[in-house]
Amino acid sequence: MTTGNHRRLGAEALLDLVHEAFRTEVAAALPPEKRYLAAMMTNAIDIARRELAVEDEALAFELLDPFYDDGDGTLTQLARDIRSGEVSDKTHPDLRARLKAHLANELAVRNPGFLAARGHERRAVKRR
Amino acid sequence: MPSPPTPAAPDPVARPPLEPASFAPLEPWLARELAADAVRIASASLLAGGAVQQNWRLDAEVTGGPRAGTHAWVLRTDAAASLSMSLDRLSEFRCIEAAHRAGVRVAEPIVASDDVALIGRAFAIQALVAGNAQGRRIVRDPALAEFGDALAAEIGRELACIHSVKPAAGTLPFLPVPLHNPSRMAVAEMRKSLDGASEPRPALEYILSWLDANAPEPKAITLVHGDFRTGNYMVDAGHLTAILDWEFCHWGDPREDIGWFIARCWRFGNDDKVAGGISRLASLLDGYNAVADAKVGAAELAYFEVLAAARWATIALLQGDRFIKSGERSLELALTGLMPPEMEWDALDIIERLAGRGRVT
Repeated sequence: MTTGNHRRLGAEALLDLVHEAFRTEVAAALPPEKRYLAAMMTNAIDIARRELAVEDEALAFELLDPFYDDGDGTLTQLARDIRSGEVSDKTHPDLRARLKAHLANELAVRNPGFLAARGHERRAVKRR
Repeated sequence: MPSPPTPAAPDPVARPPLEPASFAPLEPWLARELAADAVRIASASLLAGGAVQQNWRLDAEVTGGPRAGTHAWVLRTDAAASLSMSLDRLSEFRCIEAAHRAGVRVAEPIVASDDVALIGRAFAIQALVAGNAQGRRIVRDPALAEFGDALAAEIGRELACIHSVKPAAGTLPFLPVPLHNPSRMAVAEMRKSLDGASEPRPALEYILSWLDANAPEPKAITLVHGDFRTGNYMVDAGHLTAILDWEFCHWGDPREDIGWFIARCWRFGNDDKVAGGISRLASLLDGYNAVADAKVGAAELAYFEVLAAARWATIALLQGDRFIKSGERSLELALTGLMPPEMEWDALDIIERLAGRGRVT
């Protein structure tokens, strides 16, 4: 995935160029036993590029806002409250749907192909 | 199910790499172990794969004793660093011996030792078996349409054979027998692992709460392979030749193994072939139920698919922590650590489907 146009020579532009150069000029020249490593490297660069384009905190707040007032909650708190039963399907009937929406956001960064294979439309990531 | 893993510390003692000459000290030792006059290792070569532990092919000539003749063996070393849930090489070997005695198709166990004076690490030797174990190659084999159903039935029969091994006095005494519902025990152990993990996972906590609330009555406890999936058995000309990787073997509910085998994450992209990416579920269960004394129906497996997804998500999270917390610099571990949302998604899908049918909460 090469996006091409960048307005500044920042992290996104540099990763974009590294990805393209590695994929087209380096990976193809590697011996077969290094191909798995090369595939992991291009995958990691892809994930990093997508992660740079999203605001992690915004994604967390989107999940947490319905459960906690005034931005008080954290993912750790929510995990704890689900375990204790403080937050459940009974207290929040849309809990499972909200968790899935959060996973869809994470997967759009970490592995968009996973969602596509399950017929789930990839959600647009939020730009800073 | 074994205790979910905690990241193991890197090997505190740097071990010199193995080379063909490293196996010379084995010759007199093997002669004693095999009651032979002499054993000569004619050649030793490193086999492909084995990022974590190494597999060496040994061509040996045994003079005298019950194994006199030439042999092709595989020597498997232990890993420098592994998951704490995994058995050490010698305990794994004892499980393979128990399975072999029960008639399970495994590479014949020859001998094992944890004496580091021999080659610097624990090892086990088994007979060399023909076949391919690469999951992706198996599910993409153009001939899969012809042999997939028969192979799944064969795998089902072998799995039932593993589950014919029951806890009894003197049988694998080092494996703890679960005192309560093994599924609930697995949930408790996964929660314990999550308490020490670097990343909070609310979705995984939700899945564990569901597993705790919906745990079925256990079947009679049996030997459970613990990592029974495509990629961990060998196939030659469309037939199963050996079941590999017994390091997660434990006593538990036999349905754990079936749930793990059919979990979507182990279908290697062949999602419509529920049985490990190779076949229909019915073929696997037909083979299984033809041999098993406790029959298993498709409807009771959804729970164990969710359990499998939760377990793999927990393992993946902790693999990532081996990099984040224990400093093992590995791109593969880091990428594995990013995978939990995939298994969580699949688990929530199943839970949603079951809730829609009103079968469970």
